Amino acid sequence: MHSELNEEQPQILHIDLNSCFATVEQQARPSLRGRPLGVTNRLTANACVVAASFEAKEQGVKVGMRLSEARDLAPDLIAIETDPPKYHYVYQQLVRIMKSYSPKVSMKSIDEGIIDFHGTRENINKRPLTVIGYEIKKRLRDDVGSWMRCNIGIAPNRFLAKTAASLHKPDGLDVISHTNLRKTLAGLQLTDLTGIAERNEARLNACGIYTPLQFLDASPKILRNRAFKSIIGEDWHQRLRGWEVDDNEWSTKTIGRQFVMDDYQAPDEKVRSRLAHLCESTGLKMRHKGFCARGLAVYIRYKGGDYWSSRKAFKSSFFSNSEIYRRATLLFNQHPRLDYVVELGVTAYLLEPSGTNQVSILEDVNKEVWLTEAVDEINQRFGNYTVTFASSADAKGKIKQKIPFGSTRYFELLIQEA
Amino acid sequence: MENNVHINKAVNVVAFYFKNAGPAYRQAGSRLKCFPKRMEYDGRRVEFTETGLRHPVQKGKSLVHVFDMTDGNADYRLEFDAQNLDWKLVSIADAFRA
Repeated sequence: MHSELNEEQPQILHIDLNSCFATVEQQARPSLRGRPLGVTNRLTANACVVAASFEAKEQGVKVGMRLSEARDLAPDLIAIETDPPKYHYVYQQLVRIMKSYSPKVSMKSIDEGIIDFHGTRENINKRPLTVIGYEIKKRLRDDVGSWMRCNIGIAPNRFLAKTAASLHKPDGLDVISHTNLRKTLAGLQLTDLTGIAERNEARLNACGIYTPLQFLDASPKILRNRAFKSIIGEDWHQRLRGWEVDDNEWSTKTIGRQFVMDDYQAPDEKVRSRLAHLCESTGLKMRHKGFCARGLAVYIRYKGGDYWSSRKAFKSSFFSNSEIYRRATLLFNQHPRLDYVVELGVTAYLLEPSGTNQVSILEDVNKEVWLTEAVDEINQRFGNYTVTFASSADAKGKIKQKIPFGSTRYFELLIQEA
Repeated sequence: MENNVHINKAVNVVAFYFKNAGPAYRQAGSRLKCFPKRMEYDGRRVEFTETGLRHPVQKGKSLVHVFDMTDGNADYRLEFDAQNLDWKLVSIADAFRA
């Protein structure tokens, strides 16, 4: 563990398209430029604002707010439904630009990514990273459109690069290195740091840490034993000093799908049709990632606010929609009829690499594999859920795959569906 | 409130095509770039002044190019089927003007 600051020349470049969806919509439609804009997954009063333009943010609109609340703050707010193919195009352009500088590119979400310049500076990227940063901004404007703006942060590790990228929104470029680290942190609040929200702030406050500078000066022992009570404390100690602790690739542990019911007084038949659709969606995701599963969980939230969930690890693995639905129904049938179901979720766990390319000695297993492959091929050609359960046909038009906040793992599936 | 009218009709479009448009770093291997210039719809002629965004959309196995265009008064969404060379006016949005 390092106790000193990382004095290496910054080699990590973080790119963040702030207000990404709203900016892309303003790029696509010039009449929306300079106006308060809220992008939502559905155009209903209770829909959540997934992106707000800078003009809307100036009027107090925040991401995560309900559309009705946003309209109270900004009466002239224009609401627009998400359009995944547009964002996917911009995402692809961003990835293409980033990969032209270094092979070590990792996308953290739809609108932000990291270029690691380690090992490329001697022969390829000899120019200062700030020059490359400004060139990326220009290329984004040239390739996508003149309204596109991005924040760029350059630092010795991922955490500080992200912090640098958030210093001057919406079109900033900042560098944090060991020379200006203390000065930069002095101008921030604890909650300005990525990963420090109210609860972590309270943990730090309880140890007498109220500012990022006090956080930086805190000993690893206090952070580990008193503030976070785990190794996370030591990670923070390293992270704040510019040492890399976030260069991790996380494997997929669970795959699932949730849905808030379109009808809060839905009869059992309707709930089952939504369940069938969620099972199909989960199966599609699993096969897309080349997994089969042995465990399945179903959860329900009732209108009264109560939760119910059930999970089971099976002896045999499964991958087909019909098997997921059969097993999910076994679990679903156990749920107490307390109230109307308002939220439903299906999660597959105990994932293992799919063995469907191995021909089985059991003819029934082979038939199931072939049938699933044939249906997937048809759906790939004509769009997802072209061939679907009759029971879930009703849900097909209601449950739409929407833009996820974080991961881009299923972006291709989303586009196929859109 | 937004006034978005869905049209979904075939239209005649005059488009310009440019090869190797843009700065040098984009020219290598670049394809023909298409820019709709004029559209005839409902007996009137619309002159486009700006391309908002052009993006491809996969429809099953076929690919169509979506153009978000403006004539300075309203926003138009056009689809170009590169296989059949057909243009379709998908929607017109206005009412944002004061």
